[in-house]
Amino acid sequence: MPAQFPRVPVALVTGAAQGLGHAIATRLAHDGHLVIVNDKEDSAALTDLATQIGGLALAADVADPEAVTELVSEVAQRFGWVDVLVANHAAMAMAPFLDMAPAPWWEQVEVNLSGTFRLVQAVLPGMRRAGAGRIVLIASEAGVVGMRNATAYSASKGGLIALTKSLGRELAREGIVTNAIAPSYVDTPQLQVDAADAGVSIEDIKAAAAGRIPMGRIATPQEIAAVTAFLVSPGAGSLVGQVLQPNGGTTRTRA
Amino acid sequence: MTERVAVVTGAASGIGAACARALSADGWRVAGLDLNTSATELSRTVDVTDRDAVAAAVDGAQAQWGSVDLLVTAAGYDERIPVAEISKDSWDRMLAVLLGGTVNACAAVLPHMRRQGSGSIVAISSELGLAGSEDNVHYATAKGAVIGFVKALALECAGDGITVNSVAPGPTDTPLLEDGSPWREPDYLATLPLRRLVHPDEIAATVVFLAEEGSFFCGEVLSPNAGAVI
Repeated sequence: MPAQFPRVPVALVTGAAQGLGHAIATRLAHDGHLVIVNDKEDSAALTDLATQIGGLALAADVADPEAVTELVSEVAQRFGWVDVLVANHAAMAMAPFLDMAPAPWWEQVEVNLSGTFRLVQAVLPGMRRAGAGRIVLIASEAGVVGMRNATAYSASKGGLIALTKSLGRELAREGIVTNAIAPSYVDTPQLQVDAADAGVSIEDIKAAAAGRIPMGRIATPQEIAAVTAFLVSPGAGSLVGQVLQPNGGTTRTRA
Repeated sequence: MTERVAVVTGAASGIGAACARALSADGWRVAGLDLNTSATELSRTVDVTDRDAVAAAVDGAQAQWGSVDLLVTAAGYDERIPVAEISKDSWDRMLAVLLGGTVNACAAVLPHMRRQGSGSIVAISSELGLAGSEDNVHYATAKGAVIGFVKALALECAGDGITVNSVAPGPTDTPLLEDGSPWREPDYLATLPLRRLVHPDEIAATVVFLAEEGSFFCGEVLSPNAGAVI
């Protein structure tokens, strides 16, 4: 099996202040990565996480092209380059298609899809010089099978999947492999968006989701973090442009 | 840690052997079922098309170690024949080994896993089962059937604490790709985004991941294939 990184790999995880990003950063640190945790704003949660995992907190709004450039420059100054990018940040708002104004509709595409595109652009030169890199884009089941009242979110996540496949094709020959994870319901604060749309409590939305999932429960953030850890591990180097779907079987049954 | 027990079919060579090695290295007890003797802790020479023999070997592993926590079905073979020349026997045998062998092994482990309320099944399929192939349509068809079987069985077992998934390797550097195989030609390798064959240890790593941490995958196909099928 080809070796991977000649140093302690530096991982950049976006959207890391809470939920899935928090779990991913924690897992990657546990697995021996030096982890830079990013979120849109500085917060105690973000800096506490960095302290806990021996990493570094760098706040930046990934929807802002200049902020992305500055973020990656800061990493480059301190650590040379980024070995592992986990683009986990996401904006989500739900409303029936015609009820959502163009501005909030496009904002989700801007954050989720264009922000990720610019992040990849920014980390690529360093990965190219290093001759190795792992890119994991956190997509969503909504990008595979769609989701009612979430057209913008689904479009952005579907775009991420196509971006993953294309980057996989384009970059693998350079030792930089790109894959995506498309989770379904994960037990994170983001479920509040679904709960608000349905007009129910977060506990109710979890129960309703679990009832529709063949495995009878929703995912833990740690389960999705484990998938991420696998994709950036040495043994996963021949997965290229793939979309992993740890979803409890729900693509079959989702309403 | 509780001792974990794996049954690996096709454990004597190629991907099956790599899986058995990787699992042993990670502390699993491994029973290897193969036509040939395998370098596993409990090697049984069994033809996977023989349902009773497969069941007896699995029951033996369970009796010896107390559980069956993982099944990896890697037994298989390939032959390159243009479609018009595939005889009834060739077709039937391919289905019997690739699909029937998988079905037999699953049938043997499921009673144990159901009693335990836990277990994982990882069926080795192929990228050819996802995207088709020429000059071995019986192989591609049988592998595609394995994927359909895995998805159906996964739903049936989802409530039992048993995960069922598939790993669909791309062109892998094993004895199945004989010297002179078109998949070893530089012109072919140049079409792969990764520009190289998959290493059997990479298939094994994917299997081990599914077995140890793939707890929310249900009927999925993970395909380490060097970008051959995206």
